[in-house]
Amino acid sequence: MNRVVVTGLGVVSPIGSDPDSFFESLIAARSGIAPIEAAFADRLRLPLVAQVKDFDSARHFEKEQLSKLDRFSQFALVAARQAWQGADIKKLSDAEACGTYWGTGLGGAQTLEIGYEDLFVKGLNRVRPLSVIACMPNAAAANVAIEFGLQGPCNTYAMACASSAVAIGEAYRAIGSGAVNMAIAGGSEAFLTLGILKGWEALMTLAVPDKDRPETSCRPFSMDRTGFVPGEGAGALVLESHDHAVARGANIIGEIVGYGTSNDALHLSRPDPAGQVRAIRMALKEAAGRGLEMEQIGYINAHGTATRIGDKIETESIKAAFGERAAHVPISATKAVHGHLMGAGGAVEFIATLMALQRKMLPPTAHLKEADPECDLDYVALMPRRVPALSAAMSNSFAFGGNNVVLLARTIE
Amino acid sequence: MAPISGETPSILAQVQALLQSHFGLAAESVQPGAALADLGIDSLSAIEFVFELEGHFNISLSDGRADLTTVADLVAVVEHALGEANGPT
Repeated sequence: MNRVVVTGLGVVSPIGSDPDSFFESLIAARSGIAPIEAAFADRLRLPLVAQVKDFDSARHFEKEQLSKLDRFSQFALVAARQAWQGADIKKLSDAEACGTYWGTGLGGAQTLEIGYEDLFVKGLNRVRPLSVIACMPNAAAANVAIEFGLQGPCNTYAMACASSAVAIGEAYRAIGSGAVNMAIAGGSEAFLTLGILKGWEALMTLAVPDKDRPETSCRPFSMDRTGFVPGEGAGALVLESHDHAVARGANIIGEIVGYGTSNDALHLSRPDPAGQVRAIRMALKEAAGRGLEMEQIGYINAHGTATRIGDKIETESIKAAFGERAAHVPISATKAVHGHLMGAGGAVEFIATLMALQRKMLPPTAHLKEADPECDLDYVALMPRRVPALSAAMSNSFAFGGNNVVLLARTIE
Repeated sequence: MAPISGETPSILAQVQALLQSHFGLAAESVQPGAALADLGIDSLSAIEFVFELEGHFNISLSDGRADLTTVADLVAVVEHALGEANGPT
């Protein structure tokens, strides 16, 4: 098994659209959550979202390109460009051994909704001619592969909230096995449309807005949590084999040492500790094979959506998998400030995990004033924490459909 | 594309004007014989442009499978569709 390292990061998020400003917002617990700015805002009962507000399409793309690019592909390309630039790749050594591994929950949701609106609301009898290629779920990955000339596998994973965590895990496996020597992996989501938000509203999992401070309405592990806040964005990473990175003198951000994935095989939306524990143990076992022991893990970026049931089950799972050690591992849920980025969430949160490792600084769980007694671990409440000895960390993504994905990373000295 | 002096511009002139505004092209570049590829218009962009032509002329071209290679080809499909819309004379 080849060692697999990360050499580039890219972020488009509601709290900053480059890795540094994203991480600064995490540390400052600066929330990107607010009532939606959209023409249909007054039709939502629960209007809180985490929008990417500083994204100017015209700055990144020619007008001609834009008709082919749904917002989720635009986010993907911008995040991938950042990661590529960060990795400082001058020339592909072997384009056929370079892959694209991407995650999305709903793909080109806005394009699809515009088409339906044209047909069913406006009564037009035609849709935009590039609707199909703009909304297909693999459009983002294909656009990334085209832009960077990645001629190897180009795979898209749709596992709801775990999509991009799976994409990173599968890229890690492909590089580990030698099938691929470099990849762009990550995910993107742009699903803040009326139709989709109505669907979430009806499912009764969204946060109830705090009247005075709406930006604090998503409160993972808190006694008064009411649910999550949907957000949009993208996270991209350049992964490569350690040998490949060293040979080209790349700056290594961190090493991926474990990937666990399982399915609860029980229920579409209710999480199950047994399934989560299987994924955590699988990742830990793999990491052990790469010389990392559970005791070295000094941070967990939780899935932490702030639903009543989700945070409690995740707490149980961490306790079951880590045993005595669970009480001593700092955990934080960054969704409190960047919202739930769905198909992009796993990647963006893994980037937060890698940056925490790099900077020896843990982002806090924002708005956590009083923890739920059933959530009784160390959640790094309110304030960031400096951990000079931090060398390994875990990121959890537990999705609808019962998909559980765990990624483990460590620093390379 | 309103007629300037009550006289409707030719279909060619209208297509040329639309090409210029849609793709930011210079007037002299959109000659009838000009290849769309040479103007930087690939197959997908051409399909997107056909959508604009449909809206402008209030016609439907989508059932055609014409090979759109040049500016003149675009004009021809529009003329054909307008002829059909007006019925046999």
